[in-house]
Amino acid sequence: MKKEHTGDPHAGPLPERLLQAHLLLLLAENPAHGYELIQRLNEADFANGEADVATVYRHLRRMDQEGLLASRWEAGAAGPARRLYTLTPRGREVLDAWAASVQEQKEKLESFLRRYGAHKKGGEARETGRGGD
Amino acid sequence: MHRNYTGVIKVLPGERPFRIIHAGALRRPIERCLTLFGGRHAGLAVEVEGAGSRECARRVLAGGEYDVIALADQAIFAEMLVPEFVEDYFVFATDQIVIGYNRTSRACAAIGPENWMDVLLAPGVSYARSNHNLDPCGYRTLMVWQLAEKFYGRPGLFAALDAGCPPAHVYPKSIDAAGALLEGKVDYAFLYSSVAEQLGFMRLILPPQINLSHPAYAEYYATAAVRVEGRAPGEQTTIRGKPIEFAAGVPRNAPHPGLAGEFVALLTGPEGHAILEQCGLIPC
Repeated sequence: MKKEHTGDPHAGPLPERLLQAHLLLLLAENPAHGYELIQRLNEADFANGEADVATVYRHLRRMDQEGLLASRWEAGAAGPARRLYTLTPRGREVLDAWAASVQEQKEKLESFLRRYGAHKKGGEARETGRGGD
Repeated sequence: MHRNYTGVIKVLPGERPFRIIHAGALRRPIERCLTLFGGRHAGLAVEVEGAGSRECARRVLAGGEYDVIALADQAIFAEMLVPEFVEDYFVFATDQIVIGYNRTSRACAAIGPENWMDVLLAPGVSYARSNHNLDPCGYRTLMVWQLAEKFYGRPGLFAALDAGCPPAHVYPKSIDAAGALLEGKVDYAFLYSSVAEQLGFMRLILPPQINLSHPAYAEYYATAAVRVEGRAPGEQTTIRGKPIEFAAGVPRNAPHPGLAGEFVALLTGPEGHAILEQCGLIPC
């Protein structure tokens, strides 16, 4: 039985939540099996650090159960059959929600940096002013 | 070994039991899957054989009739069994090589990911591995030693570790090396993480660059290579390092192909995933 995904990208700890977004994006680009996804994740410039193999496979199984992904066996041309994952329409919706959430976070972080920059600039001006006394 | 997983054996005269041959390291997950499977097939009689994976493949090559073959290295299927003996095979789990030990192992208080080789090579310390000609954990251990020599920048480390593990400490399969550790015959053993976990050993986790767990290091792993006995007697073949992957298939001469397919579906499906995770493997 498929578990219902809450659709809330803020549920769960941050690194795990981001891993879900990263995997959804990679699968939106191309269907892939876990082995290849771990390799692509490691090469992606948006990921932080090395992907944990067990965590990636656990996420894929969970998203499969939640209906964000679909999986089927794909036989290799001269190798083993591996479980191939593809994004479902529900997975695409969650990816869209992620992109909106990341955009919102980006704007907040930019606002923080602008305000920090202004504070820093003001502080330096005050330091210069005091130095002139 | 002839076992009945439902309590009643119903093998009619001339009828063949359901036979599984598997890597020794898969004993526990296979038994648990069989318990589940037996519950759906009342009275099913099964025979289970555990051996090193290369030895498993040789038994199939020698004409042995099995319903399911589950190996610790998916590459053995392509090298020895496909297409004549097995058509399709399915990757279902991954793992990593660790150093297993227990509280009575010599110098265990000092061992860590940076100095394990010095601890193992210290006088009086013994360690075990499995036979690389019979068992993937054996050639994977030799690969770990080769990769460690490069990773730690320690020229001669592979030769030193190889020389430090005498034939008496080289066992037919990894589960036997684990048994030697359990019995106190050795202080340390190179094992799959899942086997060490199942047997309650302490585990030294090695860096992913050398423990053969991570697809991101596939190219680096491939720089390690080990010569092993090939498919035919007297033949030698070279095996290159790659991330660990377990796989299962149904031999073409399986006496019960329908049941066999059902068992492989269980092993590779959600129920199998739960069992594999309980046994310390990573289902994939």
